[in-house]
Amino acid sequence: MRDLFLVFSWQEIRRNPGRQLVAVVAVMLGVALAFAVHLVNASALDEFAQAARTVDGRPDLEWRAVRGTFADAGFARIAATPGVAAAVPVLEAGVSLRAAPDGTARRIAVQLIGTDALGIARTAPQLLPRNLPGADRLDLFAPDAVFLNAAALQALGLAGQDRAGARLQLQAGQKEYPLRLAGTVAAGGAPLAVMDIAAAQVLPGMAGRLSRIELKLAPGTDAAALSASLRALPDTGGANLAAPADNASRVGDLSRAYRVNLAVLALIALFTGAYLVFSMTSLSVAKRAPQFALLGVLGVTPRGRRMLVLAEAGLLGMVGSGLGLLLGASLAALALRLLGGDLGGGYFSGGTPRLRLDLAAALVYGVLGVGAALVGAWWPARAADRLPPAHTLKGLGARGVTATHPGLALLMLLAGGLLALAPPVAGVPLAAYGSVALVLVGGIAALPWLVGLLLDRLQPLAGRQVLALLGIERARRLSGTAAVAVGGVVAALALAVALTVMVASFRGSVSQWLDTVLPADLMMRLAPAASSPDAPAFDAAFVEAATDIDGIARVEPTRLQRLQLDAARPAVLLIARNLGDSRQAARALPLRAAPLAAPAGRIAVYVSEAVEQLYGVHPGDTFTALDRAFPQAPPGRFWVAGVWRDYARQFGAVAIDRAAYRQLSDDGLSNELALWLAPGADPGMVRPALQALARDRAGVADPDIASSTELRATALRIFDRSFAVTYWLQAVAVGIGLAGVAASFGAQVLARRKEFGLLAHLGLTRRQVLTVVAVEGAAWTAIGAVAGVALGLAVAAVLVFVVNPQSFHWTMDLLVPGGRLALLGLAVVAAGTLAARFAGGAAASRDAVLAVKEDW
Amino acid sequence: MATRFPLSRRAWLATALAPGAAIRAGAAGMAEAMRFPRDFGAHRDSRTEWWYVTGHGMQGERVFGFQITFFRSLVPATQGLRSRFAARQLVFAHAAVTDIAAGRQVHDQRIARWSGLPSAEDGFGQAFAADADTDLRLGTGAEAWTLKRTGDSRYRAQAASAQFRIDLELQATQPTLLQGHAGLSQKGPEPRQVSRYYSVPQLRASGDIDVGGRRYRLDEPARGRNAAWLDHEWSDEFLPPGAVGWDWLGINGFDGFALTVFRLRRADGSALWAGGSWRDGGRLQVFAADGVRFEVLRRWTSPHTGVVYPVALQLVTPAGHFTLHALLDDQELDSRDSTGAVYWEGVCELRDTAGQPIGRGYLELTGYQSPLRL
Repeated sequence: MRDLFLVFSWQEIRRNPGRQLVAVVAVMLGVALAFAVHLVNASALDEFAQAARTVDGRPDLEWRAVRGTFADAGFARIAATPGVAAAVPVLEAGVSLRAAPDGTARRIAVQLIGTDALGIARTAPQLLPRNLPGADRLDLFAPDAVFLNAAALQALGLAGQDRAGARLQLQAGQKEYPLRLAGTVAAGGAPLAVMDIAAAQVLPGMAGRLSRIELKLAPGTDAAALSASLRALPDTGGANLAAPADNASRVGDLSRAYRVNLAVLALIALFTGAYLVFSMTSLSVAKRAPQFALLGVLGVTPRGRRMLVLAEAGLLGMVGSGLGLLLGASLAALALRLLGGDLGGGYFSGGTPRLRLDLAAALVYGVLGVGAALVGAWWPARAADRLPPAHTLKGLGARGVTATHPGLALLMLLAGGLLALAPPVAGVPLAAYGSVALVLVGGIAALPWLVGLLLDRLQPLAGRQVLALLGIERARRLSGTAAVAVGGVVAALALAVALTVMVASFRGSVSQWLDTVLPADLMMRLAPAASSPDAPAFDAAFVEAATDIDGIARVEPTRLQRLQLDAARPAVLLIARNLGDSRQAARALPLRAAPLAAPAGRIAVYVSEAVEQLYGVHPGDTFTALDRAFPQAPPGRFWVAGVWRDYARQFGAVAIDRAAYRQLSDDGLSNELALWLAPGADPGMVRPALQALARDRAGVADPDIASSTELRATALRIFDRSFAVTYWLQAVAVGIGLAGVAASFGAQVLARRKEFGLLAHLGLTRRQVLTVVAVEGAAWTAIGAVAGVALGLAVAAVLVFVVNPQSFHWTMDLLVPGGRLALLGLAVVAAGTLAARFAGGAAASRDAVLAVKEDW
Repeated sequence: MATRFPLSRRAWLATALAPGAAIRAGAAGMAEAMRFPRDFGAHRDSRTEWWYVTGHGMQGERVFGFQITFFRSLVPATQGLRSRFAARQLVFAHAAVTDIAAGRQVHDQRIARWSGLPSAEDGFGQAFAADADTDLRLGTGAEAWTLKRTGDSRYRAQAASAQFRIDLELQATQPTLLQGHAGLSQKGPEPRQVSRYYSVPQLRASGDIDVGGRRYRLDEPARGRNAAWLDHEWSDEFLPPGAVGWDWLGINGFDGFALTVFRLRRADGSALWAGGSWRDGGRLQVFAADGVRFEVLRRWTSPHTGVVYPVALQLVTPAGHFTLHALLDDQELDSRDSTGAVYWEGVCELRDTAGQPIGRGYLELTGYQSPLRL
């Protein structure tokens, strides 16, 4: 067998290096993409899992307020409850920091965590303050000592060596506090500062307050019984017992969905690779049919012939996989450096994870690559197996691949459609991916049938044009072979079209959403972290004063509040702003459908899609979970009037009219101001006035004032960057597909030298022969382009309507960028035609005449 | 494993007396005479304070060493904070049991912040040290580690961890022993290098020691059996500059005497300061700094850390010549993976010049691994 492989197969491989190369490259790119995405995932997840990896470093239970902070009076009692092994107080606040003393240094928004350095390792070891070398260990408790994570150090420009004791200025509310850098914390992610709990309680409004108490239970404690006795404690400051909120892992879950999406798309690229191996091998087997037949006559069993073909494909697969793994690792390293751990998805700011090479995964993806090659070679190998030697030797054997029955293909398409309706599994739309796979395979399997159907229609159109007739007739009679050649391009084009449509739909929806959420000319916040509700806020007098500024026509304040509605879920954001009645709300919010008018006595709230899915409330429902946030209101008052799209807060947001909010709580502050300029007013004049106001009234030196145009442009720029990877995937897929088309045509045309010789004997000139070939190429790729676009649209529909809502809890409108798709299709047709033409040029050279003689 | 804080009294000093911290020279109250029971309680204004209970107990011929220590340390920077969580004080406890027959020592530690407020007002509620009398608590409820003195000169000491449990009653049999000059113990050549220091030797121990999965009830106390020792010491500054290690021993004599010896070592091993006392019957002899000499009879190299400790010593004191022998060589406390400290502290036997055992007590050897950072 080995000798046979060396003599027979190796020669074939050596003589047609170009063709083998295409198959190798196809497998290589597929493996490289899938492996690179996996490596980036694994490295980023590793970064996330840091906390979890530290032994038992997670709270078992948490004590949290529904809204904001709670009084610390109950702490000692909670900590003393039998069964509680450790109780760790945590106070969180959004503050800003800048390197002092020069006031010119940039302020950065950080999350400040006040906690107990002696206990925090039990529940959150990543927050354990670590002294800088040579520092006083009692700094752990010093009121002016702060410990920063890597992202904060970097943002403040303190990442170097001489940072011990660096002076910092912390701003919270309208006050500034001098601090010094005492050490670091290991926590990754966004800028974070850790201080002692008692020092954090010095901040305005934080005296005697806690954000949560993290509890660790003694081994063997009955958690349910303990929860009951904790809930029975008197005077716990308005907080409640909850399952721990692990924000990092939640963001991890969310970005996991994003990365699984990418991984699946990368696997589709591998599928394209398998398809190209299939098409290469099919042609190679067809071309070598007489040789295989001869081998059969010489005593090689059918099984032996099959193994020979599989061995050839396996070799190609191994080479392709090996190269793919190398390429994938390099791509991953590059992507991590350029795009960060979420591949530009924007889920984690700060630190870049280190590339983590994973041998087991390399093995899996290597095997996947070889597997794809073997699967691709399976049918051609069967053809070599079933070859009737005598017939084939006489030149009577059937060539190419017989068309499959369309029934099976249609069945797969139908199953794909049904799978798209299934719910997600553990937050990942597995069924939808199955649906995408079935639609692609089914669509390609239906190709021969479709090709036949289309060519039947085309044939009368060719009329008396001899050359066109020749081309079309040939393609029609050998629709199986035609489908093989076109399949690769269909798969690649489908992938490209699907991604283009999905990204275009998303971008269009985001752009619309931005228009609605940024209605005013200017947006103003007191600190960059204003999206965090703990950030400094404007009072009513400030809003009035801002309205009085010359050039400002209207000011609309927005109050943001974090609501812990459900212990098991992340907090949702309450947005209180002037919404007015349902008609006005429709203009102020990017509602998915026209809002309902709230019945008398009910308070209309508008929930984002994430809230709709996570809490299962729909327009017309009573939102009972919201009652917990406003215990003073009679229960059951909140009524869902509409659902709006929100691409910013994926854990959910609830919008409520500001007037209604003020009736429910005496909270008159606001975190954001939307400012409309008077006609003809110069934003350049208004800004200094606003800055002066912030300085005088709020003590904030440099508030965040941005024009909506700037914000919009920034948002879209971030969007485009985050989808850079998908564009990249697209380009590679189309590249593979076109290379495949060129190679298939080359191979087919070479195999048809005899036929060209015959045509030449019949009197066709070389040019005419080439025209026949080009017409065939055009016809095939045209069909391929049509099928690819159609399949791509189907896949895009699954991505837009199923995968996205299931993964990210948001919907979007399907937007088909017709021009771009047409261009893509035309490019494929042109490339296919040209490839056929050039391949034909090589084959239909003068020795084609001799080729006819070969067999006689 | 919450913290990076050292366990021994010597290392605790290194923490409490951090560089740059303001030292109140000859702190207020240092010159005053001791008053009891007030001075049994905590002195929250002093920088550092400890209550150190060491001893041995027997069940049949099975000998156990035990140790429960409470440290209190003032955090100067936090005194002005208003929060009920303010770490104005840190309270730390360490407990260990040595099972001589099994040839092993187990230990555990705890630390918590304390606002210095009474329990009812304290926000954190995990630590407390009373002013009026010895009443120390770390943790809460049945799991708390405690050391509490009751009116009749009786102490209750409790500490439990996963590997052991100590629950002992300690009955004083002798008057309180004021170390140094009426409780003012010189710790270095400078006048301010001084501590307030008293001991309660010859405490009669009874109760239970759980170790190795078994409970041992100590035998009825008899002569030379089940004797414990309490040291209570507080200061604003202990350590003269240049001291890298601290050796201390307190021996309960079988016939009722009490021997205290301590020495502060330089990096080259020489004594920078020394002291101690001998009390037999009613007669108290306080040792001068130059009256005490240590000679090493035998060294033991730890197989765990490679550190070399003197586990048999010749002691030359104004009260006589003795030899001291560790009952178990391996009483090293290796906490490099949690607190970073490596030291030796264990139960020992005192012998007279004829080689006859005349008492038992504890020896503490610190600073042998590497000079501790000051």
